[in-house]
Amino acid sequence: MDFATFIGLLPSILASALRISTPIALAAYSGVLCERAAVINIAIEGMMLVAAMVGDLVMIYTGNIWLGVLGGVLSGGLLGLVHAVFSVSLKTDQIISGTAINIFAAGVTGFAYRRFLAMPSIPRPNPSTLQPIHVPYLDKIPVLGNVLFQSRPILYMMLILTFLIHYMLFYSPWGLRTRAVGEHPEAADTLGISVYKMRYINVILGGLVAGLGGVWFSLEQVGHFDMLMTNGKGFIGLAAMIFGKWTPFGSLFAAFIFGLPEAIQINLSFYFPNIPYQFLSMSPYILTIIVLTGVVGKALPPAADGQPYEKG
Amino acid sequence: MPEKQSWDWGGWLEGIAVPILAVITALLVGAVVIWSVGGNPLVAYKGMLDGAFLKKRAFTETLVATTPYIFLGLAVAFGFKCGLFNIGAEGQFYMGELAAVWVAYNFQAWPAYIHLPAAMLAGIIAGAFWSAIAGYLRGAFGAHEVITTIMLNYVAIYLADFLVGMKGPMRDPRASVPQTRPIANSAILPRLNELPAIMQHPAVRIGWAVVFAISVYFLLKWWFAKRVTSTARKQAYSLIVALLVGVAIFIGLAHLTAIGGPFTDPADRLHLGFFLALLTAVFVWWLLNKTTIGFEVRTVGANPDAAEYAGISIIRNFVVAMGISGALSGLAGAVEVLGLQRMLKSFFAAGYGFDSIAVALLAKNDPFGIIASGFLFGAMRNGADLMELRSGVSKYIIGIVQALVLLFVAAPVIIRWLYRIKGRRGEKIVVTRGWGK
Repeated sequence: MDFATFIGLLPSILASALRISTPIALAAYSGVLCERAAVINIAIEGMMLVAAMVGDLVMIYTGNIWLGVLGGVLSGGLLGLVHAVFSVSLKTDQIISGTAINIFAAGVTGFAYRRFLAMPSIPRPNPSTLQPIHVPYLDKIPVLGNVLFQSRPILYMMLILTFLIHYMLFYSPWGLRTRAVGEHPEAADTLGISVYKMRYINVILGGLVAGLGGVWFSLEQVGHFDMLMTNGKGFIGLAAMIFGKWTPFGSLFAAFIFGLPEAIQINLSFYFPNIPYQFLSMSPYILTIIVLTGVVGKALPPAADGQPYEKG
Repeated sequence: MPEKQSWDWGGWLEGIAVPILAVITALLVGAVVIWSVGGNPLVAYKGMLDGAFLKKRAFTETLVATTPYIFLGLAVAFGFKCGLFNIGAEGQFYMGELAAVWVAYNFQAWPAYIHLPAAMLAGIIAGAFWSAIAGYLRGAFGAHEVITTIMLNYVAIYLADFLVGMKGPMRDPRASVPQTRPIANSAILPRLNELPAIMQHPAVRIGWAVVFAISVYFLLKWWFAKRVTSTARKQAYSLIVALLVGVAIFIGLAHLTAIGGPFTDPADRLHLGFFLALLTAVFVWWLLNKTTIGFEVRTVGANPDAAEYAGISIIRNFVVAMGISGALSGLAGAVEVLGLQRMLKSFFAAGYGFDSIAVALLAKNDPFGIIASGFLFGAMRNGADLMELRSGVSKYIIGIVQALVLLFVAAPVIIRWLYRIKGRRGEKIVVTRGWGK
């Protein structure tokens, strides 16, 4: 392929990358919300998987795709509550609590898939994916319009959440309390902030956001639930959070970077038939490792991250 | 005798009470889930029991399913002992399978006593290499192993898919489905039913007789060391018993068919890998508790700051602990390929990675406890199919039960509260570390 073809494909590559980065970014925001309050949430992958499944189920049984989205988001929040009970109240090792939720998610989605979804011709609404929304006028802008303003709803929500979480985290009382609880819970406690309450709120919020990321797979991207369809995106999201230094905009940028290899694969594999697809498929994971290697020493997590709080 | 330590039965009972009650409680909750979706829990669990133990060949099949769980549980536990969370056992397992099968189907001319160890060693090295990457990145750059090992899992899966898949270089061109060539006879890890034929060669029997005699000799010398003062008698006893054992092994191995069961049943798949897993558990216990390597690894795991202050290199121990952990996972893969599968099919996730974490934690990272918890998980895996067949309840219910087991073990407060067991102060399950430290 020549340079001109490549330039011609560029908007399409960028649009794909932004689309693919949606669940990664949402997973990263989920991580930001939890870890700013010092709770490590490695269960994002499992929360997304359950939300993807619940979203599809609710859509099938209500016939309404938006109720499906709502159901998926709420199921993520419910798992967030479970994670909060174990890691905040019971002071379980947070990574192990998260791992248990991930195992549970694989089991319960497999179970439900066999029981409810693995049959031919389930009546789903048509279309069973969220449809693109063209933003009037803005979608006519040459490159940007194609990349940004002809997208599907969860992508827009992800972009809005980036601003919202940034604003809330750094310019609202809730954000100040959250960061206090994450950096120095004893001091926050002394000032009358309930450490447990803040952590519960944030982990549940994180679960809701992870749920939105999960619903993206089944209801925005594919149109139905598949076994293990989240495919490690929750974990990549955690890496994006670290790369983005626990900030929403940093996470979005990182998620976009992690989305690029797959976007390139989708758009360019036609021109390079001799490169085995597996190498492009493994590239986001390798990229994640490389990025983690180069970055962590410089970025610091919230000071109390991962430590249960014992009321003194 | 004041110097003899009394065995703390009460503490031991308390130690295993929580895991056992955790399993029972998880099964009870599982029963409620089964009932709530319209299944009959009694039929389901009876099906699992039959499938795991009572059906023909069920018990040896359970041991077959237990084998990788023991290896992988040991692998995860070894990482935990150093404060490292190896979620990548599954990827290291695949790398072990790939390396072992490659050595095993090539080099057809090698004699068995070189080929089989070489194939297993290849699996061990491949697994160790794959995990040592994560250990090094953690030690040198602080890249957290929870994420790097998971990423390496995916890389391993795609790598295996490429190598064995449709156009892959390791694919057998004559096979209609993507899989490797079958491994050479000289590289098989024998099943019990293959042993009688192999043991017809006197040279093989002599070899094993010598191996056993020497091991018994040194074991006895160690055993006598504190109990018999006379060196001459120590020597004589050990030699005589070792000789007798050697002769017994030499004669006994020729008559394995007399035992029957898995030794004569041509459909029985129990292979020597299971016994190797038991030996490996002993080895890991020894490595952790009786060697300098184990001491350093445990010190870094318990308190890295103190370890560094004492001059123990953190980076080196992260690499060593991760490497040994991955070596065990790789060995698990090699054993599956050489003992059970005898070739490698194109890829589907075996799902061992997360299960093995639960196996290790249920046993509180104790190598001998892992034999028991691995057996439990092997039995559940093996019984799941018959359970599904009999009760119509999807076998994925097992995953739910396993997650509950893990949660109950990790949060013993729940179990203690449910059954009114008093806690001991200071009891704490492994604590992993956050991103930064």
